[in-house]
Amino acid sequence: MRKLIPLALTATVVAVLPSAPASATGVMKCNAGPQSGWQTQDVLKAKLIKEGWTVRKSKVDGGCYEVYGTTPEGDRVEAYFHPVTLEKLYVARRGQVLFRKPGY
Amino acid sequence: MRTILNNKHVVWLLLSVPAILLVSGWWQGRIDSMDMLHPTGEWSARLMIFAMALSPLLAILGPKRWLNWLVARRRAIGVAAFGYALVHLIFYLIDMGNLDDILAEWLAPGIWTGWAAFALMLPLALTSNDASMRWLRAGWKRLQRLVYPAALLTMLHWFWVHNSYAAALAHFVPLGLLLLARFIKKPFLQMKPQGV
Repeated sequence: MRKLIPLALTATVVAVLPSAPASATGVMKCNAGPQSGWQTQDVLKAKLIKEGWTVRKSKVDGGCYEVYGTTPEGDRVEAYFHPVTLEKLYVARRGQVLFRKPGY
Repeated sequence: MRTILNNKHVVWLLLSVPAILLVSGWWQGRIDSMDMLHPTGEWSARLMIFAMALSPLLAILGPKRWLNWLVARRRAIGVAAFGYALVHLIFYLIDMGNLDDILAEWLAPGIWTGWAAFALMLPLALTSNDASMRWLRAGWKRLQRLVYPAALLTMLHWFWVHNSYAAALAHFVPLGLLLLARFIKKPFLQMKPQGV
């Protein structure tokens, strides 16, 4: 018993730790094909700015474009866009989902 | 080597290494304010969990030299957890940049839990000194138990702000198991005669 508990705990820690995702957050997946077919992040940024967004930062996450910024309505959010169609897929404020395209 | 490790200032220095690396990276422009949030929050949670894991470990494993060494420095580890939470909050404020945006989201589940966890950690850090311990006597220990709700709020903050559970669970499940193991083991400890 004395040896068993620490052993079981160590085993659990070892088993649980690798399940943490390395880079992708797993919030959204796009399956948009090879990057050669994608539009650039600059095109997306220009489109969003034209629509009234403020873009603070953008990157690739889960095969989608992830943008940190402020919506035209003034909400500070994290949003995902399809890298080929540039369609808005998901908008969240600090993890609180404000919009999610059906099917995603 | 032992005298160096036992020096109070060296312990503090060790606890600040991640903060020094992160803040210098930010100062040199290698890390955005936004990207300071995750690592500072994670270090705060790690140190909090580490400090909280010591007493169940002691109950399960019995007295061990390394464990006693750590328990003697538990207060410093706890204060460091608060220090990282403070840096985390400061970078949140820098990243948000204006009061309107902060107020607009403060009721979001991922945000109020962070504020509440910080509010609970504040009195713990402020009373983590000899004078407060003398002044509060038995009440000190009762006050420090606020760390349990603070840890729960920290976990919820992590769950909700990321809208995913894996990373937070990887940190909090081991602590949960330790607390559970101590709880289960208690009757065994009491059955044994003292000193065996």
